[in-house]
Amino acid sequence: MSPDTEEPRAIVRHRRRWSSVWVVPLAALAVAGWLVWKHYADRGPVAHVRFETADSIESGKTEVRLRSVRVGFVESIDLAEDLRSIVADIRMDPEYAGLLRQDSRFWVVKPRFSASSISGLSTIISGAYIELEPGESRIMAQHFDGLEEPPVTSATVPGLRLTLVAEDAGSLAVGSPIYYRGFEVGRVERRSLDIDNRSIRFEVFIEEDYASLVREGTCFWNTSGIDFAAGADGFKLSTSSLQAMLSGGAAFAVPKGGTAGEPASNGDIYKLHANESAAKDSIFNPDRRCLLFFEQSVRGLQPGAPVEFRGLPLGRVVEISFRHSPPGDSRVPVLIEIDADTLRQASDRNLDESQLLTTAVRSGLRARLSTGSLLTGALFVDFDFVTDAPPAEISYIDDIAVIPTLSSGLLQIEAKVNAILTKLEALPLDETLGKFGKAADEIAITIAEARATLAEAEGAMAGAKKLLSRDETQNLPAELDATLKQLRASVESLGPNGSVQGDLARTLDELRAALRSFKTLSDAIEDKPNSLIFGREGSGDPVPRAKR
Amino acid sequence: MKEIRSAAAEGLASCHLCGKVSPVELGTCPRCRSPLHLRKPRSLERTWSFLLAAMVLYLPANLLPIMTVAGIGGTSHDTIMSGVLNFWKKGDYLVAAIIFTASILIPILKMIALVWLCFAATGRTGASPKTLVRLYHLTELVGRWSMVDVFVVAILVALVQIGALSSVFPGPAIVSFAAVVVLTMFAAMSFDPRLLWDHRTGADPADHP
Repeated sequence: MSPDTEEPRAIVRHRRRWSSVWVVPLAALAVAGWLVWKHYADRGPVAHVRFETADSIESGKTEVRLRSVRVGFVESIDLAEDLRSIVADIRMDPEYAGLLRQDSRFWVVKPRFSASSISGLSTIISGAYIELEPGESRIMAQHFDGLEEPPVTSATVPGLRLTLVAEDAGSLAVGSPIYYRGFEVGRVERRSLDIDNRSIRFEVFIEEDYASLVREGTCFWNTSGIDFAAGADGFKLSTSSLQAMLSGGAAFAVPKGGTAGEPASNGDIYKLHANESAAKDSIFNPDRRCLLFFEQSVRGLQPGAPVEFRGLPLGRVVEISFRHSPPGDSRVPVLIEIDADTLRQASDRNLDESQLLTTAVRSGLRARLSTGSLLTGALFVDFDFVTDAPPAEISYIDDIAVIPTLSSGLLQIEAKVNAILTKLEALPLDETLGKFGKAADEIAITIAEARATLAEAEGAMAGAKKLLSRDETQNLPAELDATLKQLRASVESLGPNGSVQGDLARTLDELRAALRSFKTLSDAIEDKPNSLIFGREGSGDPVPRAKR
Repeated sequence: MKEIRSAAAEGLASCHLCGKVSPVELGTCPRCRSPLHLRKPRSLERTWSFLLAAMVLYLPANLLPIMTVAGIGGTSHDTIMSGVLNFWKKGDYLVAAIIFTASILIPILKMIALVWLCFAATGRTGASPKTLVRLYHLTELVGRWSMVDVFVVAILVALVQIGALSSVFPGPAIVSFAAVVVLTMFAAMSFDPRLLWDHRTGADPADHP
C-alpha cells in the first residue's frame, strides 16, 4: 500500500437499534398507569351502612356529610341478604377516611315533622343526605348500623346524661324537653322498655350549663299534658307549657324540705314520678308504720291520702285492707306510714321511737277521719291530742303499732245530736207545762194586784195636782224673782263700775308710787352707797348746762 | 402495461420541507438545507410507537370519568360510555350517536386502520394499494374530529359554573382522551403512505437514508 494513494474511508453509520420515538409509548404507559392508579388511590374507603329502608337515599347522588361538609357519597345501595334491610355502600372522600371509626354513627337527614320540632327542611329541595357523626374509638370499621332516627344530641356535646326510670311512659317521647322551673334545660334522647323490671327507661340529656342543677336529692316528674286530680286537698289542675302539653316533657327540682346533696354525675339513675305532687311526696321519708282501726265507713279514704298532725303533713295512707285486722274484727284497718320526727318535735324530743308513741297516746294522741274536701268527699287521717278522750293504750299487731282512733267529726256531731235528742226526750215536759200553767195563773193574779196599785197611784197624783193649783204655790215664782234682783244688785257693786272696784284701783296707784320712790332710793344707794350717811352731793365734774 | 418508475428508483428524493426534488446523494436539500430522505425515516417505527402510546392511553380515557357534574341532585361522575348511555336512555339518540361516533368509534377505527396500514406497509396484507391509500386519507381526514369530545368538555367546564346549582369539572379521562387523539394524529402523520406500494416494486427505499 503506497502512502500517497488516498484510501477510501468507510463511513460507518451505526444504525440505532431503537429509535428515541419509543419513549412516547413508554411515557404514555406511565401516564396512563399514573392516571388509573391516581383514580383508584384517590377513592376513599367504603363503609357499608345498614338501614331499614333506602327511602330518599339515591345511589351515586346522596352525600354523606359531617357538619354539612361533604365527606363522601353513597356509591350503591343493595338489599341485605335477609331482605330486611338495605346496605348503602358509602364511598368516603379519601381525606376523611379516618372518620370511619367503630363507634361512628350514620343517619339519614330528611324532612321530619314532630310536635316538638321540624327538622331537615333544607333537604326538601336538595334531597336527603346521610349525616355522619364520628366516634371516639381508635378502631376503624367498615360495617355500620345506621340509626333510623337522628340522635337528639350528639354524643360529643358535653352535658349530663342521666337515666330516668318511670312506671308509665306517658306522652314523654324522644326529643321531649326537660324543664327546670319552666325553662328548657335538656331533652329526652332515648326511651326504652326495660322488660326485666317492667319499667320505662328514659335517657335524658341535660345541657352542660345546667348540669349543676341536678343534685342527689333532685326529683324528676312528668309534666306531660294536663294533670287533674281530685283528692283530699280539693281539686288540682296543673298544666305545663303548650309544647310540653303536646309533646310531653319532664321537669325536675329539689322539693321543698329536701336536701340537694352532691351534683349528679353521668349515668345516674333517677325515678321519674308521675306528677309533681308525687315527686314532692317522694322526699317524705316515713320511717314508721302504724295501724288504725276505724269503726266507721272509710269511704273517701284512698291509699296515698295524707296523714296530718294538726294540719301538718305527717305521713300517708298506705293500704286499707282487712288483711291486717285480727279475725272477727269488723273495724276497718288502715295502714299508714308516718314520719315520727314530726311527732317527736311536737312532743318530747328526748324519747326514743317506741316510747314516743306510747307517751303520746297516753297523753291523748288519737287518729280520726276528717273530710278534706266537701266537694270530693275525700277523707284524710287527722292526728290530734284529745284531752277528754277515753283513756287508751298503744297495742301491737305483728310489731305494727295500733294507735287508738276516735270517730271522725261528722260522726261525732251525729252522736252528739243524738245524745241531745235523747236528753230532750227524757225531759218531764208535761209536768213542766203544768207548772207553766200554774205560774201563768199566778201571774194573772199579780197583774190584777198591780192594777189596783196603779189606781192608788192615780189617786195620789190627783192630790198632788190639787196642791199645785193652790195660790201660794202660784205666787212662789214672783218671790223668787224679787230675791234674784237683790242678788244681782249686790253682785254689780263688785263689778267694774261698782264702788269696790274704784277703791281697789286707787290703792294700787299709791302702791305703784311708793314702789317708784323706793326704786329711786335704791339707785342712789347703788351709785353712792355712802349717800345714806353723807347725803347726796353733786358730782366733781362740772356738767355744762344747756342755755336756757 | 407501462411500468411506472418511481422517483426513488431514480435516486431522487423530495424534500420533506419545501418539496424540491433533488438527488438523494446530495444529503441536504439545495434549496432549504433540510436533510433529504427517499422515504420518511423510521416511519413505521414511529407510527407503531405513537399507535401503541395511543392504545395504552385509550384505556384510561374510557374507563375513568371524563366529567364530574356536581349539582343539587348530588354529584355524578360520567365516563364517555356512561354519558352515551345516559343520552340514549333519555331519548337523545342523535346526540348519543354523535358522541358515540366521535368519541368511541372513530378513535378505535382509526387505530385499527393504522395497524392495518402498518402491516400493509410491510406487505403482510393482500389489499390493493389504492384501497389502502384511500383508507389512509380517510384516517388523516377524520382524525381531528375526534377532538369534539374534548372541546365539549372544555366548553361545559367553562360555562357551567353556577355554584351550588350545577358545576362541571373535568375528569382525569379527558387528558388521556386528548392524548389519544393527538397521538393517533402523530401516528398518521409519521406514516409514509409510499411504503404501501414500495414493497410491491421490490425496492426497499426505507433502508436507504
